[in-house]
Amino acid sequence: MATEQGHVAESHEAQANDRIGFGFWVYLMTDLLMFAVLFATFAVLRSNTFGTPEYHELFSLPLALAETLILLTSSFTAGLGMLAAGRGDKVQVLTWFGITFLLGLTFLGLELKEFSEFIHEGYTWRSNASLSAFFTLVGTHGLHITSGLLWMGTALVFIWKRGLNAPLVRKLTLLSLFWHFLDVVWVFIFTIVYLMAFA
Amino acid sequence: MSEMIHTPAPNHKPHHGTVASYVIGFLLSLIFTLVPYYLVVQKILEGNVLVTTIIGFAVLQLIVQVVFFLHLGREKKPHWNLIFLLATVGIILMVVVGSLWIMHHLHYNMSATDVRDKVASDEGVYQIQGTPTGTCANGTGENYKVELKDNRAIPDHVEAKQCDTLTIINLDAAPHDIRFGSHEMLIPYAGEDGKNIRPGRNMIITLTELGTHTLHDHTQHDLSASFTVNR
Repeated sequence: MATEQGHVAESHEAQANDRIGFGFWVYLMTDLLMFAVLFATFAVLRSNTFGTPEYHELFSLPLALAETLILLTSSFTAGLGMLAAGRGDKVQVLTWFGITFLLGLTFLGLELKEFSEFIHEGYTWRSNASLSAFFTLVGTHGLHITSGLLWMGTALVFIWKRGLNAPLVRKLTLLSLFWHFLDVVWVFIFTIVYLMAFA
Repeated sequence: MSEMIHTPAPNHKPHHGTVASYVIGFLLSLIFTLVPYYLVVQKILEGNVLVTTIIGFAVLQLIVQVVFFLHLGREKKPHWNLIFLLATVGIILMVVVGSLWIMHHLHYNMSATDVRDKVASDEGVYQIQGTPTGTCANGTGENYKVELKDNRAIPDHVEAKQCDTLTIINLDAAPHDIRFGSHEMLIPYAGEDGKNIRPGRNMIITLTELGTHTLHDHTQHDLSASFTVNR
């Protein structure tokens, strides 16, 4: 009897997880739509530079590649962290997500460095329509990374203090979805904003 | 320890996939990043072929991420997440392709040059940086003269029609630095800043911009004239 009740409770929880997972997925898809609109805006406005240098003179491609590799690696370590969460291995979860967090922080640092260099050279979001679109698109992604880092940081502190309980594992599942999603968006930023500037 | 009790049961993994699938996904995503980077840096392909190729790699990258990292399509039927993704991709294609398509045609039918010429024609600008804009391209009308003599402009007012011309002749022994607008605020007339007219020389302007305008010698206060251009 007791095992039966346990089974019922678990299937309820699984159903709840499915619902929450789908709800979060719907959020991700609407977020994707927003990014798509920002991409379209950038693609339309990219040549309206009004006298500022072309993007291939402005961008550093090795920097963009480094950012891409860092984010891809962080997505991979987040995946390994999720596998550890499935095994209930708290130390490995903290390790892998700790690495993910540091990689995300490095990515954000490189992005802010690039932004501050542009602004220092006098190329800001106020210079022209093209740069407005650039800063909006890349900056929105950066804001997402920032909120992802805040989320990850708090989740890691809770896991460290309270251990791996079901709500925290669910939180990590959604977080890793969010993180992979940001990785996908960045791949398109890397291709459409950075690589295509040199094509 | 209570945390041990709450550890999710192994048969209900919150996340699918194995270490192997993550490693394969990671390696593929590295390849699909480095190959387009190499193609761009080494300039192996060019133009539209290159653009199409790197976008193709981005799409491959998307598929790798969706399959190996987001584990889509592996949940129980019906695959709501996958269906929702495909619907979203459909909307994205409409928004992005539609925007680019419309904006391309807008640019094609009305380039920056067209816009400039339209504004120039509406505003009656005769030339932009020395290049005629097309206003009064059918030829000019009557010619009016303003003589600068004894530091006075004679006559000091001219009534003309659009596309007439105005000749400003310097009959004094000293040059006159003729500018448009007032001393305090110089306003170019029809794209002309004005000119330093040496003794015995003149300056001809085509009256394209409508309305009443003034001209003056910027080096002295009392020499000024006005002209009104009617349609």
